[in-house]
Amino acid sequence: MLKVAGLEAGYGGSQVLHSLSLRVGDGEAVVVLGPNGHGKSTLLRSISGLIRPRAGRVEFDGVDLTHLPTEQIVAAGVVHIPQGDLPFPEMTVLENLLVGAYRPAAWSERAERLDKVFQLFPALAERKGQLARSLSGGERRMLALGRGLMSKARLLMIDEPSLGLAPLVIEQVYRTIHEIKRAGLAILLVDENAEHIAGLADRMYLLEAGVLVREGAAAELLRDEALLAAYLG
Amino acid sequence: MELRDVFDRLLQALYSGVLNGSVYGLMAIGLTLIWGSLRMLNLAHGALYIAGAYIAYGLLGALSPPVPVTFALAVGGAALIGLLIQLILVNPILEKPGRDSASLIATLAASIIVQSAILLVFGGQTKQLPPVIDGGFKVGTTLIGYQGLVVIGAAIACFLLMTIFLRTSRRGLAIRAISQDMDAAKLMGIPIVPAFVVVMVISAALAGLAGVLLGSILFFTPSGGFTPMLMAMVVTIFGGLGSVVGTIWAAYIIGLMESFLAVYIGPSWALPGIFLFMIAMLVVRPNGLFGLGETRRL
Repeated sequence: MLKVAGLEAGYGGSQVLHSLSLRVGDGEAVVVLGPNGHGKSTLLRSISGLIRPRAGRVEFDGVDLTHLPTEQIVAAGVVHIPQGDLPFPEMTVLENLLVGAYRPAAWSERAERLDKVFQLFPALAERKGQLARSLSGGERRMLALGRGLMSKARLLMIDEPSLGLAPLVIEQVYRTIHEIKRAGLAILLVDENAEHIAGLADRMYLLEAGVLVREGAAAELLRDEALLAAYLG
Repeated sequence: MELRDVFDRLLQALYSGVLNGSVYGLMAIGLTLIWGSLRMLNLAHGALYIAGAYIAYGLLGALSPPVPVTFALAVGGAALIGLLIQLILVNPILEKPGRDSASLIATLAASIIVQSAILLVFGGQTKQLPPVIDGGFKVGTTLIGYQGLVVIGAAIACFLLMTIFLRTSRRGLAIRAISQDMDAAKLMGIPIVPAFVVVMVISAALAGLAGVLLGSILFFTPSGGFTPMLMAMVVTIFGGLGSVVGTIWAAYIIGLMESFLAVYIGPSWALPGIFLFMIAMLVVRPNGLFGLGETRRL
């Protein structure tokens, strides 16, 4: 489905990603683990076209996405949910979700998609008239996920969904991601710790200083505690 | 003073205040939309206003279509000029470094071009448009013109339509998304530059409408867009730069303040009074009356 080959990216004079290659299969959940500041967000930002890769190729279902603008990458079905609390603060929950369905193909099905999202996140249905800035951190993260689902995505790229949340809420967020996967979406998730991804991830990559140092089945890598300790500290 | 005089003065102040506020609102919403999404001060806004009035004037002189048709064509003409300004002058500099000052110069240039073209075609004498509906009625000593009511009605209709557009339509939501977080908007699949073009066309149409509507109440000259643009900027700052609802409130507050100062203290106090109030308010509330700070827009 998604194939990244020889990706190089960075900001200004500094190179962050070095010849990075990975793939995500149909309906597969892939997790890239790595410490803070080693290029996880840069990886997602260069796949979604927010920054231009310096070299390499990003391919989705055989279509070259490498130099397309972000809106066409979204239109291809690759949707990026960035780090932090990002719903549009001065819009209501409902408006945020509707913006998620901006693409004409998704807009025409917005009523059904909305139903599905509200089923998955009953808390959002209760608060649909509330401004996003008045939501709690966990609800905002749910809204960001829901907004991603409104877009008719086929691959959801999620950046550190646990960041800054209370443990109980974190569990809830990962449970939801699990359900999203069960609904058939492919997932590329980047994370700092391995705590919550057991059972969710099919395959894993370890990222260190912009280089993918290990790849393997998640079940296998997650068992190797010495390895995880060495890479994630 | 008799009760009757009190009533007459109050009505006079209210009527002209609401009329002023309607026109300021029509002008200021466009500036607000552009500021909110493109983060650009559009100095061609006054030229678009006056272009609307002159296009209507020219059409009436040349073909004399029915007045409502003329007005519609003039609004369309202003929108078209806005479109050209955006495509030719603004879009090319959007991604360039130093776009803040470049966009000021580009829109100032557009304003000079439009005004000079008007001067060339129509000359510098003052002009006036015929009203949509002639006549009026008197309440006490206040003459309420039907045209004034048309202006107020049209403005309020535009405010409602804009609010509905921004809250429920696909493109309207996209414009608000862009103004709140441009990167996140891109990630929703919203193409940024086409959305900017939509914003500019709407804003130009509203400015042109203000020009056409006011052109039958006031006399105008090719440089006549400057003062309305200045007032619209005051309103935009009052409204908290980028908040549409705040801008509409601010337009009526400023309009009423202007007319109450003029009626109760004297016409020469209206403008200085407003600017004094603005300075005082900016000291107390630097983000404007309804200021939302940097992230909270539209």
